[in-house]
Amino acid sequence: MDSRSWTSTCSGGTHVVGESRVPIKQGGDIITARQQGRALAAQLGFSSADQTLIATAISEMARNILVYAKVGEIIVRPEHNGKAGITIIAHDAGPGIPDINRAMQNGYSTSGSLGVGLPGTKRIMDEFLIVSEVGKGTTVTMKKWKT
Amino acid sequence: MADPRQPRTTLALMREMGLTEEVVARRKAFLEFGAEDVERLRGLHDLAAQYADGVIEDFYSHLLSFEETQKFFTDPAILARVKAAQKQYFLELTQGQYDAPYVEDRLRIGVAHERINLPIELYLGAYNFYLRTVMLRLVEGYKNNPEQSTATLGSLLKLVFLDMGLATETYLFRRERTIREQQEAIREISTPVLPLRERLLLLPIIGAIDPPRAQQITTQLLQSIRAHRAKVVVMDITGVPTVDSAIANHLIQTVQAARLMGATVIVSGLSPEVAHALVRIGVDLSAVNTVGTLQDGIEAAEQLLGYIVSKAGDTGTSHNPAGS
Ligand SMILES: Nc1ncnc2c1ncn2[C@@H]1O[C@H](COP(=O)(O)OP(=O)(O)OP(=O)(O)O)[C@@H](O)[C@H]1O
Ligand SMILES: [Mg+2]
Repeated sequence: MDSRSWTSTCSGGTHVVGESRVPIKQGGDIITARQQGRALAAQLGFSSADQTLIATAISEMARNILVYAKVGEIIVRPEHNGKAGITIIAHDAGPGIPDINRAMQNGYSTSGSLGVGLPGTKRIMDEFLIVSEVGKGTTVTMKKWKT
Repeated sequence: MADPRQPRTTLALMREMGLTEEVVARRKAFLEFGAEDVERLRGLHDLAAQYADGVIEDFYSHLLSFEETQKFFTDPAILARVKAAQKQYFLELTQGQYDAPYVEDRLRIGVAHERINLPIELYLGAYNFYLRTVMLRLVEGYKNNPEQSTATLGSLLKLVFLDMGLATETYLFRRERTIREQQEAIREISTPVLPLRERLLLLPIIGAIDPPRAQQITTQLLQSIRAHRAKVVVMDITGVPTVDSAIANHLIQTVQAARLMGATVIVSGLSPEVAHALVRIGVDLSAVNTVGTLQDGIEAAEQLLGYIVSKAGDTGTSHNPAGS
């Protein structure tokens, strides 16, 4: 069964869009993650404006990883749950966020930045879930559906 | 060994690569490398000591019979030294201690190979020969106990893969670091501040901006504003691949610092889509004077400075005294 579906995928010539994982360890990785997200969004048929929103959301989360947790990972994958969409997961095993409600407020920043990354990203995505535990790390799972 | 600073360098490298005790323990767990393996390898030590010289001889005659590897050993003194180091390495495989100093030692091997630019496929190929040479002797030594022979071979394979993983990872890590350093060096020299006209500076930014670079750009810009007594600066970010809220924050701060020195900054090259995304995220770009293209930026700057910009033809008519 497995080998059959694999063969048909290959011989059919249709490229199956899959998941990609980008480790975030340094500044350049943010660009890689952003590009991966944009490329997948384009393959899924998102409009150019949406591709930019998706890429920007990825930048925000990847930069948070780099600044606050030092290392982590961005996963982008297609979503075929009846409707087409994209899922982005930003995960790190960093210090975690002590007060998520506060972190989700506009203007709250512990690094002297604008403090809009988390609340703003939530605004531009359709679904946004943040789970964080002090000493354990932070995981943001977000989705955008094709309109 | 000749360089007393060497061990410290590897220790720092180990930290940089994030090879904590925990991480190493995870790797061993993944390889299912446990106490029995340690025991088996230790049990192999006497036998290994007996055939060490033979293995090393075979190994180097193999390396010397190939052009690719031969060239690393043209100096007999070097050959003698690496043979001695190789023997030590060989005996360490069965010494029964596979803790932090052991890992550090494997990294040192990776560093040494990367430094001489030994291609990774030669490293792996040579390791394969080495392993086969050892295998023959191990099977021979344990011929009365085939079960023990297989089990020990399994333990040896686990350790060898741990070693190869560490050594190749060191390779990659050092290469990546070199590339990073080169990129940084290029970036440092690639943020020129160009005087375009009197009182007008152009600051084209190419490549990603991160906090240290943002700081460097701001400092350089402020110095140039003073040196040229500039009134207007066009900061072109067409070549900046990512603009998110943190980068926008740096831009805003640079603009504000320049304003304190009496200069207006015009930011060009921010694509409308990126600007729109930033605004939706909640970045307040109102303090920043943005225009589409570099051309727009220069025109806006000239207007601010009071230059009359008009087409050559228009200038011709209005300044032609004979026309009146
Ligand atoms: N992955 C993370 N790990 C730990 N803390 C985090 C993480 N992401 C965000 N935070 C905390 O939440 C705060 C708010 O994050 P948010 O991205 O909204 O703003 P910011 O990063 O401070 O500024 P901006 O994103 O506007 O540049 C951060 O200042 C930080 O204290
Ligand atoms: Mg942020």
